[in-house]
Amino acid sequence: MLEMKRRFFLAGTAAILAAPAMTPAFAAAPTKGGTLRVSIDQAVSVIHPLLTRVNPEYLVSELLYSNLTRLKVDMSVEADLAESWTANAELTEWTFKLRSGVKFHDGSAFSADDVVATIKAILDPANASPGRNNIGPIASVSAVDPQTVSFKLSGPYADLPVALAYTNARIIPAAIATGDFKSLATKAVGTGPFMLKSYEPDRLIVVERNPAYYDPARPYLDRIEIRVFPDLSAEGSSLISGDTDIMSTVQPTEFLRLKDSDGVDTLRVASGQFCNINFGCDTAPFNDARVRRALALTVDRQAMVDFVTEGFGTPGNDTPLNPSYQFFKPVATREQNIAEAKKLLAEAGHPNGFEATLIASDRPSVRGQLAIAIREMAKEAGITINVQTMPHATYLDQVWKKGSFYVGFYNMQPTPDGIFKLLYTSDASWNETRWNNKAFDALVAEARGTTDKDKRTDLYTKAQALMNEEVPSIIPAFFDVLAAKRSWVQGFEAHPRASVFRLDYVSLTDKAPKRG
Amino acid sequence: MIEFLKRLLRTPQGAIGLFVVVLVLLIVIFGPMLAPNDPEKMAPLARYKAPSLTYLLGTDQYGRDIFSRLLIGARATVVMAVLATIIGTLVGALIGTTSAFLGGRADEFIMRTVDAVMSIPSLLFALLVVNLLGSSTVNALVAVAIAFAPGMARITRSVALSVRKQDYVNAAMARGESSAFIIRREMLPNVVAPIIVEMTIRISFAIMLFATLSFLGLGAQPPAAEWGLMVSEARRYMHLSAGILIWPSVAIAIASIGFNLLGDGLRDALNPRT
Amino acid sequence: MSPNYLLKRLLMIFYTLFVVSLIVFAITQVLPADAAVMMLGEHATPEALDALRQTMGLNAPVWVQYGHWLWALLQGDFGTSLRTGQPIGPAMFSALGRSLLLAFLSIGLMLILAIPLGIIAAIRRGKVADIVVSLISYLGVALPEFVTATVAVLLLADWLKWLPPTGYVSPTEDFFGAIAHLILPVCVISVILIAHVSRMVRSELVDVLHTDYIRAARLKGMSRGTVLRRHALRNALLPTITIVALDVGYLLGGVIVVEEIFAIPGIGRELIVAIQARDLPVIQAGVLIMAATYSIVNFIADMLYAVLDKRIQYD
Repeated sequence: MLEMKRRFFLAGTAAILAAPAMTPAFAAAPTKGGTLRVSIDQAVSVIHPLLTRVNPEYLVSELLYSNLTRLKVDMSVEADLAESWTANAELTEWTFKLRSGVKFHDGSAFSADDVVATIKAILDPANASPGRNNIGPIASVSAVDPQTVSFKLSGPYADLPVALAYTNARIIPAAIATGDFKSLATKAVGTGPFMLKSYEPDRLIVVERNPAYYDPARPYLDRIEIRVFPDLSAEGSSLISGDTDIMSTVQPTEFLRLKDSDGVDTLRVASGQFCNINFGCDTAPFNDARVRRALALTVDRQAMVDFVTEGFGTPGNDTPLNPSYQFFKPVATREQNIAEAKKLLAEAGHPNGFEATLIASDRPSVRGQLAIAIREMAKEAGITINVQTMPHATYLDQVWKKGSFYVGFYNMQPTPDGIFKLLYTSDASWNETRWNNKAFDALVAEARGTTDKDKRTDLYTKAQALMNEEVPSIIPAFFDVLAAKRSWVQGFEAHPRASVFRLDYVSLTDKAPKRG
Repeated sequence: MIEFLKRLLRTPQGAIGLFVVVLVLLIVIFGPMLAPNDPEKMAPLARYKAPSLTYLLGTDQYGRDIFSRLLIGARATVVMAVLATIIGTLVGALIGTTSAFLGGRADEFIMRTVDAVMSIPSLLFALLVVNLLGSSTVNALVAVAIAFAPGMARITRSVALSVRKQDYVNAAMARGESSAFIIRREMLPNVVAPIIVEMTIRISFAIMLFATLSFLGLGAQPPAAEWGLMVSEARRYMHLSAGILIWPSVAIAIASIGFNLLGDGLRDALNPRT
Repeated sequence: MSPNYLLKRLLMIFYTLFVVSLIVFAITQVLPADAAVMMLGEHATPEALDALRQTMGLNAPVWVQYGHWLWALLQGDFGTSLRTGQPIGPAMFSALGRSLLLAFLSIGLMLILAIPLGIIAAIRRGKVADIVVSLISYLGVALPEFVTATVAVLLLADWLKWLPPTGYVSPTEDFFGAIAHLILPVCVISVILIAHVSRMVRSELVDVLHTDYIRAARLKGMSRGTVLRRHALRNALLPTITIVALDVGYLLGGVIVVEEIFAIPGIGRELIVAIQARDLPVIQAGVLIMAATYSIVNFIADMLYAVLDKRIQYD
């Protein structure tokens, strides 16, 4: 265990030492200055860092704020506002050493009090932060001294440094966290590499370099303009014409078009991002595991990869883990088997199949594609699926977490624990399947406090097998994360997490157009 | 009737329009029987195929036969547009004639209210209604019908008023004809004619509205072969195969131009000043 | 034009706004959405929701809520957006400004194209030129806006690279960039509007050319061209004012799709986002502002018509 501690400590320090040299080796030394234009496909309705919900909002809050830790492209953590961290042997108490001399955008100094107040604000149900259940089992948090924060956990948890890199765990000033919490809806006071210049939710967000950023080398850019493009095809056209420099998310159909365009580099990375069919496991007919498994058996997974990802993905096995995650070992793959599906349906009392309405929101468009594809596949087993699409906001309001048969879409989480606790355990933040399986909960809980890699892998594999058997949701395919950039953009990489962008490492070459 | 048809066919707009509209209606009736393939059958290995003998217009993003989908989708597209227009017209005609009949302050009140409702753009109005009712084909139909009603009310009223003042109606009255005869033989044909012209043109407008609702995810639901939905889905795949976008667009364009031309032809044929 | 008529038209605007406010308030009341849930998001606790409903007055009777809303509105307070937490008024009016800019440019281009087409069609009625004009003007309305816009972007931006594809640039930030980015959407919208106006000009002109007054002028030995210029056109083009004013409604609310594809944050797009997100106060304010703009434009058009057409008596 002692060795464990040291490893964590070293991981933290090594990251700082390495930080200035983080740019990829193949790139020339980054030049400073310039304006970068990034396109996003959804409005940034929320800039309050503790309340953001979708990738474009995370993109903006990542520029303006800092976490204690940060996710690198290989999904390991590096130091951000924390310099180093250690844990006790039981993994129930963690101590984070903070960077000194850091200032918020309003000039006030950053200290341990800000961290404590922020974490408390995230955990306060009254604030309704989506990150409340995603930053680890924190029982209490306190400032040891202005440069040290101590976390006491309600149970052993090995992933705390990763959890604190969560998209909502951005540190805000204590005065705001305990005072006018809502004021961050229209302004930004962070310690991030950029400062908010202007904010129009549906059109344009402009940020400018923070001259007081803790790393004197970064950011390289003077200014970033984030432009909202409601239409995907138009967004692609804009990148091709050179009007924008980075397309933060690319759909597979657009990817093929961008790949053939001059001056555009497409970026692709395997990921645990997936689209799934969620069952309300407490609602008939989906309260019968045989019915859920029968539908899962109708899916031709390789065809699904083609239909919904145009080949930019990998088959799924009805569990949210895949080789992109640590602690992963595959369980036997489920093959399409219509006869078996029919048999299960008959056993469950639906010898002639059943009829159900599958709801799919329109963003991203793959949800609808998945729904139509599964409709056709399920037909063979006598299951009639009616597809209903709706605008994404309406879906969030009326169907998400409430419906019993709908298409979900989720980013890869940094750890297996992250995705299980987000969606599938009884106490998951978005327990949308209402599966509530005690055996599964116990396996996930045990893995949390297990540091031995093999043992942990074993526990997660058992949890996966249970999911594969009971099918709280059908996960037919995983998506690669796709992005694109102009070739004059350097230092931008597609991140498997899909909600991390690291634009402070981006720079422009001298071929980039000069913008006033 | 024969006389009228001759006059309609004498105008080039009318001739072309009639031909196209009849063709479209034939597809609406016989299309599903003619379709060579199952319009919803997916084929993972036959996606984005170019036109061939098996697939006359190629296949779409799911390997479905575009030609069959167009033939079958004609019903969903054209019948819906016609129905919505007819319902909207009936409701509008009811309001318009009532208003014209009542006259005076009641007329003033009704028409000012209709004007007020018309200040909300019809697409927006349709959107609000669909959101209120939930998105489905039937609700989209109701929404388009409601959106059309105020405009039709205004037109019906003005036509009804002007017809009442016409010389031939006065002449018939002077001849001592019965009211029933006057309404049936003199007024009705003259009231109905302009409304039919307006309706014909509005059918193409309705096709557009339905397509736009589908584009916004509020109209027909996939995998329906409604043409507007086909086009709006195709936009995502147009860079992989242009045909997916082109063919349903062509179908919509033909139907819409057909109804527009027919409307123009009807107007010219009904206009006595030729 | 008598002061009486003016007064009556002005009263009509207020009546229109009153009716629209009732309709939009009724619709937003019935829309299946909870404003408190919208504001706090799906992670809110029931207690927090209840408290917010209380402070927002959502538990009060509907007519009381309507009264409060109207009263605030009369003081120029449009409320705050549930989605973004920002005040609605400034955002809506700058969106309206962008929409109006797009609308006026489109009307300008459309008139330049549609009036000559309509005149040709009327003079050569029933001939080949008439058919050609019909077909040209119908091309604009033959396809849904999203297809026309898509094809325009593909053709002029992606392939020919003549124009920037999409995106909105504010004229105050970069004037030439703004013009370049506006050309495509303006072209698309004016092409859509051509059919309406050219058909109108054609039928008006056909009617005018058949009046006794024009026949008399011809009989007096005036040339066809002179008759057309001096008498027919003037009378045929006057109704165009009314038609264009009616089109403003379409230009504000109907071009949602064009605004969406070209990423122009106009009032139509604000509204569609609000409708999809069930952002009730924004829907209420947006529809009302739109109706007000439409009414005012039509009022101006009627006045203009009355001034230009001295033969018409207004009482």
